[in-house]
Amino acid sequence: MNKKDIDLSIDFCGVKFKNPFLLSSSPVSNSAEMVARSFEAGWAGVAFKTLNSDTTPIIHPSPRMNGIQYGNKKLVGLQNAEMISDRPLKENLADFLYLKKKYPDHVLISSIMGFSNDEWAYLAKVSEDNGADMLELNFSCPHMSVEGAGHHVGKAFDLIEKFTATVKRAVSIPVMAKMTPNITDMTEPALYAKRGGADAIAAINTVLGISQIDLNQFTPKPNVFGLGTISGTSGPAIKPIGLRFISEMAKCKELALPLSGMGGIETWVDALEYILLGASTLQVTTGIIHYGYDIVEDLIEGLTDFMVEKKITKIEDLVGRALTNLTTTDKFDLKRQGRAEYNLDKCVGCGQCYTVCKDAGGFALDWDGDKRQPVLDKDKCLSCMICSFVCPICDIISYKEMPDTWKRQDAVVMGKDLEDQLNFQPFKQPI
Amino acid sequence: MSKQYDFSRALAEADRCLLCHDAPCSKGCPANTDPGKFIKKFKMQNIKGAIRTIKENNILGGACGVLCPTARLCEKECSASHLDRPIKIGKIQEFLVRHGREINFKVFEKPEVTGKKVAIIGSGPAGISCGAALARKGYQVTIFEKMEEPGGVLRYGVPSYRFGKDSLKKELKDVTDLGVEFKCSHPIQEKGEVQDLLSKGFQAVFIATGLWDAADLFDKKPAGVYNSVDFLSSPHTIQSDLIKDQVAGKKVAVIGGGSVAMDCAGFAQTLGAQDVYLIYRRSFNQMPAEPDEKIESLENNIHFLILNQPKDYITDDTGKITGIKLARTQLAKAKKDQRRVPVEVKDSQWSLDIDIVVEAIGNKAFEDSGKIYPGVDLDAKKLIKASLEDCRTSQEGIFAGGDIVRGPSLVVNAVQDGKTAANTIDSYLKQRKA
Repeated sequence: MNKKDIDLSIDFCGVKFKNPFLLSSSPVSNSAEMVARSFEAGWAGVAFKTLNSDTTPIIHPSPRMNGIQYGNKKLVGLQNAEMISDRPLKENLADFLYLKKKYPDHVLISSIMGFSNDEWAYLAKVSEDNGADMLELNFSCPHMSVEGAGHHVGKAFDLIEKFTATVKRAVSIPVMAKMTPNITDMTEPALYAKRGGADAIAAINTVLGISQIDLNQFTPKPNVFGLGTISGTSGPAIKPIGLRFISEMAKCKELALPLSGMGGIETWVDALEYILLGASTLQVTTGIIHYGYDIVEDLIEGLTDFMVEKKITKIEDLVGRALTNLTTTDKFDLKRQGRAEYNLDKCVGCGQCYTVCKDAGGFALDWDGDKRQPVLDKDKCLSCMICSFVCPICDIISYKEMPDTWKRQDAVVMGKDLEDQLNFQPFKQPI
Repeated sequence: MSKQYDFSRALAEADRCLLCHDAPCSKGCPANTDPGKFIKKFKMQNIKGAIRTIKENNILGGACGVLCPTARLCEKECSASHLDRPIKIGKIQEFLVRHGREINFKVFEKPEVTGKKVAIIGSGPAGISCGAALARKGYQVTIFEKMEEPGGVLRYGVPSYRFGKDSLKKELKDVTDLGVEFKCSHPIQEKGEVQDLLSKGFQAVFIATGLWDAADLFDKKPAGVYNSVDFLSSPHTIQSDLIKDQVAGKKVAVIGGGSVAMDCAGFAQTLGAQDVYLIYRRSFNQMPAEPDEKIESLENNIHFLILNQPKDYITDDTGKITGIKLARTQLAKAKKDQRRVPVEVKDSQWSLDIDIVVEAIGNKAFEDSGKIYPGVDLDAKKLIKASLEDCRTSQEGIFAGGDIVRGPSLVVNAVQDGKTAANTIDSYLKQRKA
């Protein structure tokens, strides 16, 4: 199989995408000038920055974002307090016309947010009338301060159903509901959206959080002239949360809607993980904020090469492929046990494994100070594998399943001699 | 000189650190500056703690960060070398010390004074280190310095482009803030004067005078020939303008292959020399200078004339130098365990036109250096006999460390000697009281 045999295109709610990669509705999709450049770079479509109908003045806070740094690594997460589009509706719609004229094969998704039933209908209609191929209903923007908008709606499930139904009545193009992760169970509001007629679900919007506090002013960042706020966190740090919600919705048989996944996607591996858990289109913002539109080249090339390697020609054949292996802990076969296996040929002698095993693991490692190497007491290894997470060399520590005759040594009881002083009765379930 | 680290660069480098158990880098530091600990502290955002670790262990942490041959000390032991390259510990250290000053962080609190007085002869690295350590223990320390300003080799032996005098001033301020008193332009030079200090209220003396006499190549020294000591100290002496005028636009030859020779060559270039030659009779690899110093000198367009033996100076009618007679050498076969010896190539003499020569073939003790401490045993090279374990000399109450004991050595070793001596002096004086 060759690269030319791979078809990255996908049908999503009857709309054809030449590849599954879209800009999400955010600062990176703020204008046609920007979006056009992203299309040239290879993105298949855009969820345009959420429109407003000019009835509520939109002014973004300044500064509006804050990066989360881990050690020297920049932007492992981003906090963003930006509002929906601050551009006049006319200008955004003119940009729609421009994009559809210049890029007819690219998908234009209009993200909208109304402050009333009529406004939802109005914004849906003008979007359709000016070239939008799909709608994305923003039920989830966490920073909109107007009551009855953004994530306030996303948490009031009956409003989700009501507004979705309103929009569905107003237009004939497909409608996607974008959900907030700042709830415990996303399937429930997603089902409300479905009842309202939604054709697809997009998730996740940003996770409410506080990224950092200005230690001199005791003010959360972004520090907007002495004040901070709880606002949307995005980027690689929140990918696990996004994957979780996507997978839960994908597993929900009652829901059974196409999913547009997002949350921390930067590389083709991130994208593939979302696909394997049920997403069939993928949206990106923070990855672009960090690296620019060009990352789509790597998303496309990486995913294509993976598909060549796995001999899978169509994206559909990957969607949800990991779901059958996703279960709950009670389904695990706990009889099967193993331990870490060390191959020290490439060991550089840093001893981080020793430190973590001693202070966080099963104390299964001893330290040979002369050789500067760990010495594994195999029977004490808990198979937590923490050592492999800190080891700077990729293939020194692996997991090895042990035969069922193998028994792990119990942790040492330091108070063995004090057992006669124990004040203790075994728990008995009251009948 | 490679660029100094800023905060983000230092953090990026610290991020590469593997945070080794029983950190080998820390064992590689002669002065126990403990890089394993200060880098871990830096990574844990405990930045003041990192600076505290450096300065408490090594009062000249800033200077050592710049001047240490880290490639053969801490960085040589670095586990990350086995991945690709060692952590640049010296540069992180230099950054942290500098950063501490930028945020106005004072590492040391004012010590409680015991009232006991200790005299130190020489304000170089060993003297400073000993003085700071004793002051932190509450001793009243006076450092006697014959030159006009303190710092010893850091001021008079290291060119400013390597270690700036402003950095030195700040490093010295940490010492004076501890209550150490510098008495500059105050040479201890009379016969037996060191012993006399013991009867003038000082309860112990630490000799840290260093090596300030230069070895000569030939008996004659025509006009235009300098030794490394005079040459490198010239910016701080009356010879300053004289040497600068003589070097600018001229051809300079530096004779020698050690770190001091590299400094002399680099310094000649900063003075605007037209061409700087480095003449060394052995091979490139045999040059005792650090590998990175040699590479840097080459890259800075110093002309290396290796395998060349100076034979004689050529002078004009006025006795001023105009050239050097040289002979090509080749290395003889290696004899067991000995380094290969250069042997002159027959009929290979040639001469190099030169305006200025700097001899950098080694520092030594002044011939009469022992007269100020007649009770102290010396070796044949006039170095003080003292154990590096405790810096005790043959005479009670008198201690010694640094180059005057070790012979030519590193700043970081002198720092350690100062610390060792301070500990010995402290226990000596406590015992004596008891």
